[in-house]
Amino acid sequence: MNETRRAVLLAAPLGLAQVAFFLAPLLILAATSFATDERLRGASLQGWSEFAGDPFNLRALLDTMKLGAATVVATACLALPLALLHLVGGPGLRRLILIVSVLPLLTSVVVRSFAWIAILGRDGVIAQASVALGVTSTPLVLLQTEPGLILALTQIEMPLMLLPLLSTLGRLDPALLDASAVLGASLARTLRCVVLPAALPGLFAGATLVFASSSTAFISQSVIGGGRLVYLPSLLWQQAMVIFNWPQAAAIALTLMLSVLLVVTALNATGRRLHG
Amino acid sequence: MAERVIGPPVLVGIGLGAADLLLAGLLGLLALLSLLILIAPVVVVLLTSFSTSAALRFPPPGLTLHWYAELLNPVSSGFIHVAALHSVIVATIASCLATALATAAALAIARSGGRAARIADNLFMTPLILPGIAFGLAALMFVAWLRLPNSLALIALGHTVVIAPFVLRTAGASIAQLDPTLFEASDSLGASRWFAFRRVIFPLIRPGVAAGAFLAFVSSLDNVPVSLFLGSARTDMLPIRMWGMMESTLDVRVAAVSGLLVVFAFLVLLLMERAIGFARQLAQ
Amino acid sequence: MMLRRRALLACSLAAPALLTRRASAAGNVTAAIYPGPWEEAYRAIVAPALKSDAGIDVAFEPLFAVDEIAKVRAARGNPPFDVMVLDPGPRASGIDFELYEPFDGAKLKNASKVPTGLIDKYGAAVAAQVVGIAYNPKKVAKPSGWPDLFKPDFVTHLGLTGLQTTFGTMCIIEIAKAFGGSDTDIEPAFAAIKKALPQVAAVASPAALPGLFQQGQVDLMYINTQTVTTLKSRGVDVEFVVPDTGASAFVTTMHITKGSQHVPEAYAYIDAVLATPIQDKLANKPYYLTPVNKDVDPGADVPMKSVDEIGKFVTYDWQKINLQRAKWIDRFNKEVAK
Repeated sequence: MNETRRAVLLAAPLGLAQVAFFLAPLLILAATSFATDERLRGASLQGWSEFAGDPFNLRALLDTMKLGAATVVATACLALPLALLHLVGGPGLRRLILIVSVLPLLTSVVVRSFAWIAILGRDGVIAQASVALGVTSTPLVLLQTEPGLILALTQIEMPLMLLPLLSTLGRLDPALLDASAVLGASLARTLRCVVLPAALPGLFAGATLVFASSSTAFISQSVIGGGRLVYLPSLLWQQAMVIFNWPQAAAIALTLMLSVLLVVTALNATGRRLHG
Repeated sequence: MAERVIGPPVLVGIGLGAADLLLAGLLGLLALLSLLILIAPVVVVLLTSFSTSAALRFPPPGLTLHWYAELLNPVSSGFIHVAALHSVIVATIASCLATALATAAALAIARSGGRAARIADNLFMTPLILPGIAFGLAALMFVAWLRLPNSLALIALGHTVVIAPFVLRTAGASIAQLDPTLFEASDSLGASRWFAFRRVIFPLIRPGVAAGAFLAFVSSLDNVPVSLFLGSARTDMLPIRMWGMMESTLDVRVAAVSGLLVVFAFLVLLLMERAIGFARQLAQ
Repeated sequence: MMLRRRALLACSLAAPALLTRRASAAGNVTAAIYPGPWEEAYRAIVAPALKSDAGIDVAFEPLFAVDEIAKVRAARGNPPFDVMVLDPGPRASGIDFELYEPFDGAKLKNASKVPTGLIDKYGAAVAAQVVGIAYNPKKVAKPSGWPDLFKPDFVTHLGLTGLQTTFGTMCIIEIAKAFGGSDTDIEPAFAAIKKALPQVAAVASPAALPGLFQQGQVDLMYINTQTVTTLKSRGVDVEFVVPDTGASAFVTTMHITKGSQHVPEAYAYIDAVLATPIQDKLANKPYYLTPVNKDVDPGADVPMKSVDEIGKFVTYDWQKINLQRAKWIDRFNKEVAK
């Protein structure tokens, strides 16, 4: 059996499963967005025109993309130092960092949201701390604010940024760091010229995953963000399950998907160009 | 593979100028903040699970094991046990299937190389990127259109597709680390492909596959979108049940469930760390 | 080897059964039920009674009313449950989408126990809910009516929610009426809300409000008595207030889904729910589900002596309201968005 045929045979089961349980549902979704109602009884552009015609929805789309971008920046700023710590740490510290970074994945997303209410709320940890430490005179309530939401999303999405970073930095040749030290480069210089370029593939991979996940994190957005922060996932839910306007819900779902796909593709292309 | 040893000597070697110290300090602080943010919610949940108050409040007024006792009581918590059982069954089936399918696909992609392989890789990874809530709705529409009855099998199939990327990534990374001459050697020695896989390749990539399978299992246990849209009375799933408990009955047992899940997953993590150096697998 | 193969065979035979359980035998009925106290109550009280009196097994599917409608519509004539439990808003949607089997009240033995008008050709009322204001007496003074919610001393503690649920819709209509509107014109409510937005404690989905109240993020909200009783039973400081304009009430109804394969069992189930001993147990601790059975005492927190008085409460024309609801939900989104 020749190589190509063998490869196709090996990849076929997953491919078929994806076509049947992933692609097919998406095609139905697309068809519904061009239908008059959820029974696909006729064709219509109503779902799309109702959605795209309202500037409020377009603003929600923009805000959703901005949320994803902000979360990427926040997770990158926090994950990079942690990854650097992992780089220079001993085996014990390394193991600790890895286990801690997987921790958010082990707590249910449902309960995590409650925990963030307890931390960000009016009677919460941050509010009480801010007054106790004298940072603010009135309690700092971050619940139902965008910074609070980004903070919570950062914790929830951190593993997605950290694990690829750890993976790529792990392949960094230690000799390069030694060489840089021996040649008298400052810490800043070493980071900028040796470590960061090596970390770039991990950063881009992480950015892709974090952007996709945070911009579509329906539960976190609604529980922690509250009713005043309107993003596409909650509009999707409303149209689908509260108002039962499935053509519009399908249009929203597809818009969300295509937007995320667009940004992810752009990120991938940029990443490839930067170190290709 | 040589053990990487980069330690404090590097920092010393770099020369601790004032600017360097400041930068190192800043980075250290950010790293600490990072760790704090990662751990804080888990601590909150665990502490709340011991709360003497019947309300989901933090900080708890007092500590007790009452909720855990309640949780383990089959009379009062039977419905939670059923939901947990369903989730475990689905997660087991889905992660086994996903592991088998994704490992095969990872092998195919690694051995082929080239554009077709890269496109296939991207396509197989898409479920990780596309919005779960959109997929859940699409799955509901699809299942309704086909008039398929609700069942755990259907949910398991839905989960399989969504969690396969985890295994694909770690297995793929493992396979990429393999020495290509291994394949040639076993070929030239006359071994069948299946024999080569079973005796040579799989033992070497087993850690990577296991790490991916673990992530896939945990992801399936926690999956909300697919279970939400495809679930029903007879297929009650744990995260959905927990959501209801948190919002409708305001039941503190939900914190206890989460506590148990964390402890269980933590123990498995430690075990895997012992057995296969899990930490290293994830950082491959 | 033999043992292993037999074990494998046994497993593979059991697996399909385990994986694709579905009620198709006679003496079975699947009922949608609200998650939370409703589900606990019905599992503990209704299910055993139905089994011992009529030999029927009931399986419960926990869903909110709007989700039930969505699921039945998605299932297209092959409904996942035989009985639906709905609030007035979704009930009217169900009528519009023709999702019910025609209901014959005469088939219910307990029909006479229910006030007239609560059983019709679509379904039967099974519980009442009273809607008003809830507050934390330790943190806020007692509000007397809807306009109080927007006064400076109160508004910083207020939790707002939209029109996704029946009680939310009712409360916003009442707020509108308090500021000069009506059940078709709720502009005054939006005006009041818009002015209050910079100071409100939270704007959340209806299901999230009790959690925020528990955690102290909000100390004042509009809600139903059911939730207040649940919060109280958890040791949260909360009291229910009947607004000076009067409390609003609605009945929760049960309907038989169109296309159900278990219609006689569905009638038996609804009959069991309406039986006096059952309604009495449901009305008591720890569930406090307000009864519709005339012979049962509604309980201390509910501002009426018996469900006959339900006529005294403010009522609404849901079919008229439903025509506007989608627009109003959209409008609420836009008003509260930052």
